[in-house]
Amino acid sequence: MSRERIYEDLTLVQRRANVVFWIFAGLLLLTLSYYWKVQILEHKKYLGMAEANRIRMRELAAPRGLILDRAGGKLADNRASFKVSLNRENVKNESVSYPAICRLLGIDEPTLRNRIALHKDLPSHEPVVIADGLTPEDVAPIESRRLELPELVVESEPQRYYPGGGLAAHVVGYVQELTAEEIRARPDRKVRGGEMLGRTGVERQYDDILRGQDGIAYDVVDSLGRFQGEQSRQYPLKGRDITLTIDPALQAEAVKSLEGREGVIVALDAETGGVLALASYPTFDPNRFITRFTPAEWSQLTTDPLSPLENRAIRGLYAPGSIFKLVMSLGGLDGGFVTPETTVFCSGATEIYGSVRHCWFAPGHGAMDLAAAIRNSCNIYFYSLGRRMGIEPIAAAARRLGLGRRTGIDLVGEKEGLVPDTEWKSKTFHAPWFPGETISVAIGQGQLQVTPIQIAAMTALIARRGRPVQPHLLGGRDEPKTPDAPSPVYALTSFESVIEGMWRSVNEGGTGAQARVEGFEACGKTGSTQTISREAAERLALAGHPVKTHSWFSGFAPRVGPKIVVTVLVEFGGGGGATSGPIAGRLFEIYKKELESR
Amino acid sequence: MMLMIDRRLFGEIDWVLLALILLQSLVGVFFIYSSTHFLPGAYYVRQLVWIGISLAVLFLVLAIDYKFFVALSGYFYGLVVIMLVALLVFARIVAGTKSWFTMGLMQAQPSEVAKIVLILVFARLFAEYKRGYLTTSHTLFALGVAGVPLLLIVLQPDLGTAMTFLAIIGGAFLLAGLRKKAIVLLLLAALALGVGGWTVALKDYQKKRVTTLINPAGDPRGSGYQVIQSKIAIGSGGFTGKGFRKGTQSQLRFLPARHTDFIFSVIGEETGFLGVFIVIALYFVLLARMFLSVGKARDRAGVYIIFTATLLIAFQFLVNILMIIGLFPVVGITLPFLSYGGSSLLTTYVACGLVLNVKMRRFANV
Repeated sequence: MSRERIYEDLTLVQRRANVVFWIFAGLLLLTLSYYWKVQILEHKKYLGMAEANRIRMRELAAPRGLILDRAGGKLADNRASFKVSLNRENVKNESVSYPAICRLLGIDEPTLRNRIALHKDLPSHEPVVIADGLTPEDVAPIESRRLELPELVVESEPQRYYPGGGLAAHVVGYVQELTAEEIRARPDRKVRGGEMLGRTGVERQYDDILRGQDGIAYDVVDSLGRFQGEQSRQYPLKGRDITLTIDPALQAEAVKSLEGREGVIVALDAETGGVLALASYPTFDPNRFITRFTPAEWSQLTTDPLSPLENRAIRGLYAPGSIFKLVMSLGGLDGGFVTPETTVFCSGATEIYGSVRHCWFAPGHGAMDLAAAIRNSCNIYFYSLGRRMGIEPIAAAARRLGLGRRTGIDLVGEKEGLVPDTEWKSKTFHAPWFPGETISVAIGQGQLQVTPIQIAAMTALIARRGRPVQPHLLGGRDEPKTPDAPSPVYALTSFESVIEGMWRSVNEGGTGAQARVEGFEACGKTGSTQTISREAAERLALAGHPVKTHSWFSGFAPRVGPKIVVTVLVEFGGGGGATSGPIAGRLFEIYKKELESR
Repeated sequence: MMLMIDRRLFGEIDWVLLALILLQSLVGVFFIYSSTHFLPGAYYVRQLVWIGISLAVLFLVLAIDYKFFVALSGYFYGLVVIMLVALLVFARIVAGTKSWFTMGLMQAQPSEVAKIVLILVFARLFAEYKRGYLTTSHTLFALGVAGVPLLLIVLQPDLGTAMTFLAIIGGAFLLAGLRKKAIVLLLLAALALGVGGWTVALKDYQKKRVTTLINPAGDPRGSGYQVIQSKIAIGSGGFTGKGFRKGTQSQLRFLPARHTDFIFSVIGEETGFLGVFIVIALYFVLLARMFLSVGKARDRAGVYIIFTATLLIAFQFLVNILMIIGLFPVVGITLPFLSYGGSSLLTTYVACGLVLNVKMRRFANV
């Protein structure tokens, strides 16, 4: 190697190398400034994105408030139950995973696929509930296969439970899962998988109070959506408990009395209007709505001709029959069509507007004043009164006593009933009102339609001598107070006259005699309403197929300072006095004892 | 020619540079640990072993005068071309490309070796070239020499290594001196090649990576995913970061290739801008010390070796930190010193070894 090569001139290349280095340095500085922009200036944005990546919110079901009877007994309770949800994101292979899940849960694959299809609109990280109402034993095999089936999520959550089953089903109502349509219909609302909604009864009426507030768990998940732990949680707030006015002993007796029949029993606290008992029969087990029906069970329940789901107390429309004679009496007294002393002679039949009308008691009651006519429920007396009054005053009296409109009880779906008059007739049928129709209305037949709760409310109004109460279920410290009416609906004397008749009906061997309770001074009125025309009924009876009438009893006790109102309706129960009277009597008896023991 | 290291030469080793190299490598080990401690395989231990091996190889490189390597570069070149051809023909397909030879437990990547060989070949090619500017014939010859292995690498296809090749070629040309006319011509050729390559040679997934650069949200589940997650990791780190082993993007595995190509995202997330700044500063000092060693080279070959070897590391470093923050397409270039992986670590250490070698032997014929 020569010396000149050792000292060759490298300044040019070295200078070029330096230029390249400083270009690199400049690029590095620019890069660093971009890191500054991303890490410092846009930090919040990216931190938010990182949090959204790793945090998944999970709704925590709030336990519903309990529904209690007035004694504190649980009509609707909560119990721990396990539910299994499917996290669709984690399903790797449907044809392997679904049959395995079905085997574990003991369901068939179409059912599973249907449930999943139902929630296909939900975002895929939202789990779909595929089985619930499970016991710890049910979920044990799933827990032990957690690693094989990461798509299954087992959670414990409070579930509604009705300890009484069908005992107060129409009062309490039931809760049911939101359907896919309902979820779609309210896109603004965040719906938790398997969320329950009050459907009928108190569960629906006071859903907002009972519901409580769901909590949120903030779960940490990894990039595959696998649970890594819980970051924090907002605990759910339990819904408020609700106490009802229901009296457990009366309710139990009411349901027992109706067993095997179709009918209604309503008992009101005459002082407050609180519903002491409300039974509609046949009934159903609301627990079945929570654990989900099979399609067969559901169609059986909805197509049952006896419609067990209907609350007959507020939705059943019936002719009031002879109960309506109370309306006739009050309206007649007020309008001066009759006085307590007005006497009519009953020979068992009479001819009005060219047709023969019968009293229910063929031999005839003889001469009677108003109270005796109520006691005997004499048709002839009220035919005569009806002819004198005409339809308009009758309809006015019915409305004044609360018929033809909802009582406003705190239950959804109450019906109005119907009080016919000339205006209604011309509007509906474009036909004039015939005087003969007035005669049918006078004894509570014809187009008249009432609900049992209306009759109970009307009976309470009579018992309170014209001061109405609002029938209601909400009791305890939330119980609404009925404001004292400034003046009675009709003159006090009118009420006393009618009550005299009702008292005699029960206590002096009248039609309501079987409702009598020693020392409780019950007053009442019976009714037997024809479900088909009298002529047709007679023909069928002769042919050996007797058609029974609907059987009514509505009354209160005691006569002075009334405490309880009881209304009983038994469909096709026969005579009101014979069938419904004794039921009411038993309820009076129980309540009397309760009052004495207080 | 072949000299074993003697005492005097031993004292001439740039120990500061060596310390910086080791320091940077250990920073890498820390974050490899952070991003893999929840996985089986003890990656950080393996990386430590690789550092040891690489260091041993580095000293081996130091022991032999770089002139010897330069003199033998023609043979190396032949060997590496044969290896690359063999690779295309025989090697089993790994991760969609044919860039890996499987040799028992050790895997060798011929394209990594090719980088070093190119440095040596260019040193030889330009060592005797003392004019101020490159002539056309010399340019074309150099392009031809580099073009053969480059083409073989493109065919694998290993876009990242191919780009690194282009950087070394470009750097060497700049050093040799390009006239303005030549620069324009080369740029036009590159443009033509780029357009032609885009329509003919680039695979769909590679095209997607380029389009994703412009609009990462256009494909958030596919190739855009990596960039988006990486940017989220870096941005969410803020000024001081989330803490060692506390980066949610890396620990919860939202970040792809955490311990390899995207290790710097982990640093950005867990140590924030502060950590990013420190690592970049460390890099800057290291590379500055290497670049500025060109003044210490005793001959032209030494200048070329120092310059291209340093450029190799600097280019990969810059492209990697641009890539993970979404300023450059995801081309599979690792971060020298920091990324997990023996092959790239070894290449980097050999390149450093060459720089140290030249620097150490700055006094001629001692």
